[in-house]
Order: sequence, then structure tokens, then C-alpha cells
Amino acid sequence: MSSLTITGVTKSFGSGASATRAVDDVTLHVPHGSFTTVLGPSGCGKTTLLRLIAGFLMPESGTIAFGDTTVAGAGVRTVAPQARRVGYVPQEGALFPHLDVAANIAFGLPRAARGSQEGNDRVVEMLDLVELPTDFRDRRPDELSGGQQQRVALARSLAPQPAVVLLDEPFSSLDASLRGSTSRAVRRALEATNTTALLVTHDQNEALSLADQVAVMRAGRLVQSAPPSEVYLSPTDPQVAEFVGRAVVLPGTATDARATCALGEVVLIEPTNGPVALMIRPEQVFVDLAHDEGVRGTVEEVSYYGHDCAVQVRLDDGTSVLARMAGVRHPGPGDTVHLRVTGLVRAYHPAGTT
Amino acid sequence: MTTSPRRATARASVALAATLLTASTLTGCGVFGSPDLVVYNAQHEELLDEIVPLFEKESGLDVELRSGKDLEMANQIVEEGEDSPADVFLTENSPAMSIVDNAGLFAELPEAATAPIPDEYVPADRMWTGFLARSTVAMYNTETMTDADMPASILDFADPEWKGRVAFSPTGADFQAIVSAVLELEGEQATADWLDGLKDNGVIVQNNLVVMQSVDSGEVDAGIAYHYYWYRDRQENGSDSDSSALHFFGNQDPGAFLSISGAGILDSSEHKDAAEEFVTWLTSTEAQQAMAESYALEYPLNPDASLNAEVKPFDELEPPKVDVSALNGPQVTDLMTAAGLL
Amino acid sequence: MPLAYVAFYVVIIGPVDLWQLLARPRIAELLSNTVTLAIACMAATAALGVSLAVLVERTDLPGRRLWHGLLVAPLAVPAFVNGYAWVSLDRSVHGFSGAFTVVTLSYYPLVYLPVVAMLRRLDPALEESAWSLGHSRARTFRTVVLPQLRPALLGGALLVGLHLLAEFGALSLLRYPTFTTAIYDQYGSTFNGAAATAMAAVLVMLCLVLLLAELRLRGNRRYARLGRGAARSAVPLALGPSRWPLLGVVGAVVALALGVPAYSLVRWLVVGTSTEFPVAELTEALVATVALALAGAVATTLAAIPVVWLAVRHRGWASTVIERSTYIANALPGIVVGLALVVASLRLVPGIYQTAALLVAAYVILFLPRAVVTVRAGLEQAPIVLDDVAHSLGTGPLATARRVTLPLIAPSLGAGAALVFLAISTELTATLMLSPIGTHTLATEFWSASSELRYGAAAPYALLLVLVSIPATVLLMRSDSPATKTERVPV
Repeated sequence: MSSLTITGVTKSFGSGASATRAVDDVTLHVPHGSFTTVLGPSGCGKTTLLRLIAGFLMPESGTIAFGDTTVAGAGVRTVAPQARRVGYVPQEGALFPHLDVAANIAFGLPRAARGSQEGNDRVVEMLDLVELPTDFRDRRPDELSGGQQQRVALARSLAPQPAVVLLDEPFSSLDASLRGSTSRAVRRALEATNTTALLVTHDQNEALSLADQVAVMRAGRLVQSAPPSEVYLSPTDPQVAEFVGRAVVLPGTATDARATCALGEVVLIEPTNGPVALMIRPEQVFVDLAHDEGVRGTVEEVSYYGHDCAVQVRLDDGTSVLARMAGVRHPGPGDTVHLRVTGLVRAYHPAGTT
Repeated sequence: MTTSPRRATARASVALAATLLTASTLTGCGVFGSPDLVVYNAQHEELLDEIVPLFEKESGLDVELRSGKDLEMANQIVEEGEDSPADVFLTENSPAMSIVDNAGLFAELPEAATAPIPDEYVPADRMWTGFLARSTVAMYNTETMTDADMPASILDFADPEWKGRVAFSPTGADFQAIVSAVLELEGEQATADWLDGLKDNGVIVQNNLVVMQSVDSGEVDAGIAYHYYWYRDRQENGSDSDSSALHFFGNQDPGAFLSISGAGILDSSEHKDAAEEFVTWLTSTEAQQAMAESYALEYPLNPDASLNAEVKPFDELEPPKVDVSALNGPQVTDLMTAAGLL
Repeated sequence: MPLAYVAFYVVIIGPVDLWQLLARPRIAELLSNTVTLAIACMAATAALGVSLAVLVERTDLPGRRLWHGLLVAPLAVPAFVNGYAWVSLDRSVHGFSGAFTVVTLSYYPLVYLPVVAMLRRLDPALEESAWSLGHSRARTFRTVVLPQLRPALLGGALLVGLHLLAEFGALSLLRYPTFTTAIYDQYGSTFNGAAATAMAAVLVMLCLVLLLAELRLRGNRRYARLGRGAARSAVPLALGPSRWPLLGVVGAVVALALGVPAYSLVRWLVVGTSTEFPVAELTEALVATVALALAGAVATTLAAIPVVWLAVRHRGWASTVIERSTYIANALPGIVVGLALVVASLRLVPGIYQTAALLVAAYVILFLPRAVVTVRAGLEQAPIVLDDVAHSLGTGPLATARRVTLPLIAPSLGAGAALVFLAISTELTATLMLSPIGTHTLATEFWSASSELRYGAAAPYALLLVLVSIPATVLLMRSDSPATKTERVPV
């Protein structure tokens, strides 16, 4: 296991005027044993980044290093994928259809180990790790469910003890019900082996819940790289804010640590002055059903999800905001409610960043 | 459907084994030990199959017979040139011999080989010799025609009165030999006219057997072929000759053309002695009589041998005088192509 | 490559001579013969194929399963055997009417099969919505079903046309002169025949026309395909009293297409006016056939691998060109390939003329497309992502090919080899032209016997040829993929 360091990596496709930079000067460090997710919409370059790290593509500039060893970059002989000791779990799992589960898992082991007791033990160990029963070893890939296939794919990538494991949207092809349990099992397996892992996804729930570090990519650039709570609560700009969760963005005026806006007075994370854009998360908008304190508005629409509900409220001045509350007691459409903001709020200057 | 890797490798190894076997068989050419004599034979395979064992028994030599068709084999020999494995070349008709002769590939035959054969059937340079002959005939359906209805000359078949009534097979070397005789005897223009007439008025069938069948069944009144087809059928069960009979033109008409089957020794042969022995044997009375008594019913050219009495005797044939080495194959093809027969 | 040869030779002859060679009445005669037969047969097989398909798939005709099998079975009888069967029983079967009958009966399954497959795949929901909108059954069929059948129908008809252009044996036995028979006859007289090559050029033109039509059709076909296929099967049409006459019609077709060859073969086997059963020659021919077919199958499959590899893994203009050119070879009749190789070898590499190697080369050219199609389907089952995964697990390119790609494509390699093997075993035309003197295959022995009217002697060879064809036909019936719709049947 080692850490992963990417410095200033750039990769373009196409040539001349129509060349597009799929990865544009990306710098990222994944500490040894930690789990980083790269979050971004389709086409932002995250898969290209993954393939660069795996060695399937070569960077135009910048370097990629595992621990102290630079495997790709200027002035260094590029190390081929098969020599990089990188685990790769693609989107569809991609188990070898002609081999059974045990043979799949043992594929990356040295030839001597594959047939032997030692190899056998390793297979059993890996199956345990991904929380699959041992008798699965004789099954064929087409006899497994999607989630089971992904787990086997992970086991296969971990079996030869790689330096780094790369996962390319591994849960996007699974049913929603399977996604949670499978992703948690994967997380546990990676933690148990203290594996350095990089997972690429467009699903913010996955990114925030699984990772130690979230790296947000947009149009080939790395926009923010920070722990999940920081990315959620202190996104670098409103676009990141809206990508990572629902956001209510209101114009306001800041005076030191406080600011005023359509939802009343709010407390800022960082003091600033002048006209700002305030980023308020819906769960910060408190719907006061008991008292009449706060800004008044009329409920337009209620979306009930069982465990919580989203309430769309039109304020007296016409602004429409979204509030989230527990589902036990909630207002109905047309009701008059009073809202106020809790917690600290992020402010952006009109240019977009603080 | 996925087969297990084991089955796939099994299949692969079977294929590999088979390929090796194939390669060895094909290169070995199925010959266990090399023969003493290689004969490229364009005469009927069954005939040679009958008489070659006789030669082998007598001479103790091992003969490999490779059978094919006149022009195909002639061309191949020319292509193979010096490297040809052929020692002896036998043809069904003589134009093919001329092709090889004109390429200068034959060796002069020994006296003993050509001595028994009358001079008109041996080319002047003695590069090859005739050994069997077949007569051109007209077959006619006995229910609708009589011998008197037959035209005086084969050239008359081109006349419009024969429209739809005469069958012939232009694609075989047999008919092309007849055309070469007409060309030699009557010249290019007459031949071209004759071919045009046949194209307009004749019924084209794919070979001489079908000519015979067509005549016998009454589909056509007459047909151009060689004599032996009819006699062979009579000898078997006669099913295709019950209602037909032969008309021999005689009078040195091109229609009485005697086509010669030739035998020659390749100059490049490495077994000249064996080859000479074979050709000499072929023209000897013994072999000629054996061929006469075989199913083939073609005329032996050695005067000491003769066919049985049922066949029209050789002396009565009255064939036209043709220089066997002057019969020109390629020009025939050109004329026939121009007439639209090929 | 043979295409290049023909083009090259045409240039050598020079346009003036070429015109002279082509502007003969004979050519016009051959052209009209070939084209009229082609059009007539394509129309007839289309009509017959569709009607039979509808009867079997969409009505309550009794014994449908059985009829389906019987209607496909004629594919196992090579067209030249079929021709032999008819001619040997009744000599008056010949000329246009004879050729038309035999060819239609031999080739209608080429239309029948794809149409049946298409009918099975149609979503009945479309028809049901038409009925609910008030259309009668007949009108629905015309306006909803038939248009969807069109690609399969036209594709099948074009395939029939291509087969017919390449057909030699049957048409020769039936005495119907077309380009193929004329080329063969010319070849038999002169070997470097400019005339033969000129005719070959015309034949190739005709084939290309059909081929382009087929390609154009296939391109559109992709968009004509609907959703995910029928979830349920369509309601069969009740025939009522017209059931029995229609049953009679189907029975008649089977009797003619299958019964006649079967009866003829059996009769000649039993009666056989020629001498005893030639066991030795039969065995020799069988061995030679098997050996050649094996060598050809292996060579073709091996040759297919790089072509497919390039096409699937390295898509680019070079690979497209290679793939297209092998597809064009699919349209070349055996006779053209045979002729081209004869002359090319004589001019360029005389050493290989009349060797088995040249014949195997002809087989490779003729059947490479068939192998490519099958192997390609296999390689597409081994997507590149598997290679990436294998690399990440530490296996280099060679090891990956050995451990991952090869096992995955092995079944399709086997299938491709098997198909080519069977195709070679029943090939007639190119074998006649190129087999070394003294080498006889089942097909050539059959040919020499039947063209000399020794029908009894030809029968055992014919029987063996049919037996060899059966597995290929079964394979063809099973697989429903559009790829196999371009498979060709022995000529």
C-alpha cells in the first residue's frame, strides 16, 4: 500500500483547434490507507483521470507517483499498467466470464500461487473480506447478482495486494436497494486492508458517505478537494454547492459576521462585508410550526418522502425557498408558515468565490 | 453459450493434429515410394485403368496414372515446362498433343514405338504417335429418319432445314477436334459459316452422351458425336440407343474425320527408358488388341488389332486426309467464341 | 485480391478489345439469361418464402413445428445435387423452366428463415393497436406487418440473387447457359482466356450491384429494429376450411423441394446402372475432401483472427477497408476466384499452380467472410475492459491474450472453423478449377459422374454431400443473429 500523488496532470483528446482538455492541470494527494472520491458530472474528466492513474493512458504533462515512485511523467520511463500494481474495478465489474469466482479472484496472483493451497487460502480470505460465503468460489459470474459481482471484482483487485485501488463508478449499474449495502461492504473491505483507494462517481451521496476526502471535478479541473463535511458546508463556489446537495442561494448584504436576506438575519461562517450571495442548505431552513417567529410565507408544495419532507415555500416578497423537515409533522399546501435560518451560512461575493 | 476452456483446448488440439496429418498427406501426395513412370492421361480413365495393370505385370514397372482432361493437362504440361513430373502424355484428341508439341516439350519416339502405326497417324517429326482413333458420326433417330435422310456432308447440318433438329456439344474437346478438322480441310471462312449455322439451327447440349440421349428420345432427329458412345451403349443395355442408328459420312467428308488419341514422351522426363517401353507397348499388337477388346470400342491404329465385328470395320471408314500435327486448337477456340458458341 | 486481379486483367486487355469481347451477341444472350433467371427466382423465392413463413408462424396450420423443420431442410441439399436429382429422373427438366423450378426450390429457405425470425420477433402490440383502431386483419397485415418484414424479405431475396449468380453446377446440369457456365466452358478450352476474364468481369459487376443493395439495406435495417422483442407470441390466425388446401400447398412444396431429391437419390442408389459400389474411390474422395476442408478451415480461421482483431479493437480507416474488402469477397462467385487464381498463379508464381496450397488459398478467399462474421461475434464478447482489468492485475499483453481473450473467443473460433469446414466440403466450382490433377473430392467425383450421366455412380457422392451439409444447416437454423443472415450456402 502506498499513497498516491498526482501533480499538474493534463490530458487532451483530439488535435489542433478542436482539442479538448479532458484533464486540466489536476493536482491531488491521496494519503496512504485513505479513501478519496472524485465527484463530478458526466464528461468532467474523472474517468480519464482514473485511466491515467491506472496506466491505460499517458499524461501530456505532470507526474503520477505511488508513494516515492514516479510511474508516469516527464523525464521518467512510464511504467506499464501491468507493472504498476494498481487494482482496477470497472463500472460493470467485468468479471472474466470463462472463469469461476475463485479463478477470477486468483487471476492476479503469481502463477505458482494460483493452483496451490496458498492461493486457495487467499481466495477464501478475500471472499470473507467482501462478505461473501465461501461456497461462492465455484459459482460462475453469470450466476451472481450485480452486487455480488462487484464484490467479487473488488476481491479480485485486492487479492494481489495492490498499491492503490481504483474504482470507476462501481455502484451505478446496481439497483438502488443494492447500492447502499454493497457500497458499505466495499468500504469496510478497504478499511480492513488499509488500502489506498480512489473512487470516481457522479452520485453525491456515495461520494460524501464513503470517503475520507472528496475531490470535486468540473470540466477537467479539480475545483475543491476536502473532507466531506467541508465540501458540503463550505463549497468553494455556488456550482459546487449545488452539485453536492440542494442549495438555496439568496442575495444578501453582509456586515461583518452577520448578513441580511429574504429569510432574515443569518450568521456567517467568515466575516465579510458588502453584497453577497448566501448559500443556505434546506435543512438549515427551520419551519416553525409552533410559533409565529420568523419570515412569513405560504406553502406551495410538499414532497413527502416518509422519513423527511421537502417543503417549497413562497415568501411574502415572492422569493421561493426550499425547506427540509422531519416527516412526522408537516404543513400542507396553502398553509401559512414562518421560517428562519439556523446554523452558519456561507457567503460568496458576486464573482462567485470568497 | 460458453464452453469450458477444456473443451476449447481439446477442439484446438484436434484441429492441430488434423492439420499436421493433412499437411503430411498432401505433401506426400499419397505415394508410398515413388513410381517408375508418371503418365498424364487425358484418355478415358476407365480404359487406362483396365490396361495399365497389364503393362505393369509384364514390365514389372510401377505406373502412376494421373487423369484429367485434354486441354487442361496440355496446358499444365506447358506451364510446368522443364519441371513437369510427367513422363508420358496421353490424349483423347490430337489438338492437345499439338499444343505440347509446339512448345517443344516432346522427345522423339523410338522406331519401335511408331513402327506398327500407319504413317498418316504419326506426325512427320515423330514427336508423338496416334494409338487409338474415333470416327465422327451422325446419330439419327430411327423412328423419324432413315439413313437416306442424312445429309451428304456434315457441313449441311448448318442449313436452316435442320433448325432445331440436330444436337451437338460444343464445349468438349471432342467437338473442338472436329472443328479443327473442318478448319484444316475447308478453311477459315467455311468453318466460320458452318459454326454460325450450327449456332442458329443446332441444339446445344452439354456432352456427347446427352447428344446420344437426345437423339434416342426423339428430342432431336440427329446429333454429331463420336462412334463409340453408341456402340458402348449397345453393348451395355442399349437403353439410350434403341431408337437410333449411326450414319457414317465416308467419302473423305469432314464428317468422317478420324480423331486420333496420341501418346508422347516428355523431353524433360527422367525415366525415358521406362517411358519408351510404355509407349512401345501401347502400340504393340498385344496392347492394341487388349484395348480393342475392352469396353472402350475405339479403333486401334495398329492394323494387326481389330474391333469385334459389330462395329463398322476400320477399312470401311473413308476418313479425310488430315495432317494430324496441323490441327490448331487455339484458332478453333477463337472461331467458336466469335460464333457465340463459347 | 481477386477483385484486383480482375480489374488488372481488364486493364491489360485494353478497353477496345474488352469492348469487342463483350459486345458479342453471346454476351447479350448470357446477360439476358442470367438477369431474367435472377429476377424471376428472387421474386418467386420472396413470394414463396413469405407465404410459407406466414403460414407456419402466424396461422393454426396443423403440424407447424414439423413443417418448419421440413421447409428448412432443403438447405442441406446443395443446389447442384438438387439439379442432378431432377434431371436424372426426367430429362425434359431443363432450360429456363427447369432452372427456375430447381433454383427456387433450392433457395427459398434463404428468404423463409429470416422472415420467420422476424415474425417471431415482432411485437404483437403493434398489430393489436391497429386492430383496436378498426383495421381488418388483412389490412393490418399489409400495413403493419409487411413493412416490418421488408428488410428480412429483401435481404433474403438479395442473398438468393447472389447465390444464383454464383451457381454453376445446377445450371450446367439443367443446360441453362449463364455467365458462370460460360466462364467454365471457356476456361476448359483456353486457360488464359481473355474472353473468360471479360465474362468474369461482367459477372462481378452484377454481383457488386446486388452486394451494394444488400449493404444499403443492412445499414437501414439497424434503424428498423424495434424495442426489446415480443414479450408474448402473436395470436394465430384461424384458417378454418381453407386449412386443408393450404396444408396441401405446404405439403406440395416440401414434396418438391425435399421429396424429389430424396426419392431420386434413393432410387439411384438402389438401381444404379453403373458398376458396383466404388468403395475405394469413395473413401479416397472422402479422405481428400476431409483433408482439404480441415486445412482450409484452419487456414481461414487463423486468417480471420487478425482481420477481426483490427476491426474490433483498432477501429480506424485501415481496419474498415480490410473488413469491407473481405465482405466484397463474399460476393465473388467461386468461379471467378478460381479463374483469377489460375491465371494469377500462372503468370506470377507458376510453382504453385495445380497445388493443394493454391486450392486452400481459394477456399480462404471464398470463406474468410464467413469466418470473420463468426469470430467477430466472439471477439465482441471479450470487451476491451477485460483486457484493462487483466493488465491492472499484472498480466502483460501476451499473457492477457492467452489467458483471457483466447478462451473467450475459442468457441467462436471453433464454430467459425466448423462452418468453413462444412462449406469447403460441399464446394464445387473453385475445386473443379484448382484441384491438383489426381485429387478428387466428393464434389468433383459427383460432378464427373453426373455430367457423364452415370447417375447411379453419382448417387453415393451426392448422399455423402447431403450428409455433410446437414450439420451446417442445423447450425444455420439455430442461430438467429443478423450475422448469420449473410451466411452463404454451398455452390
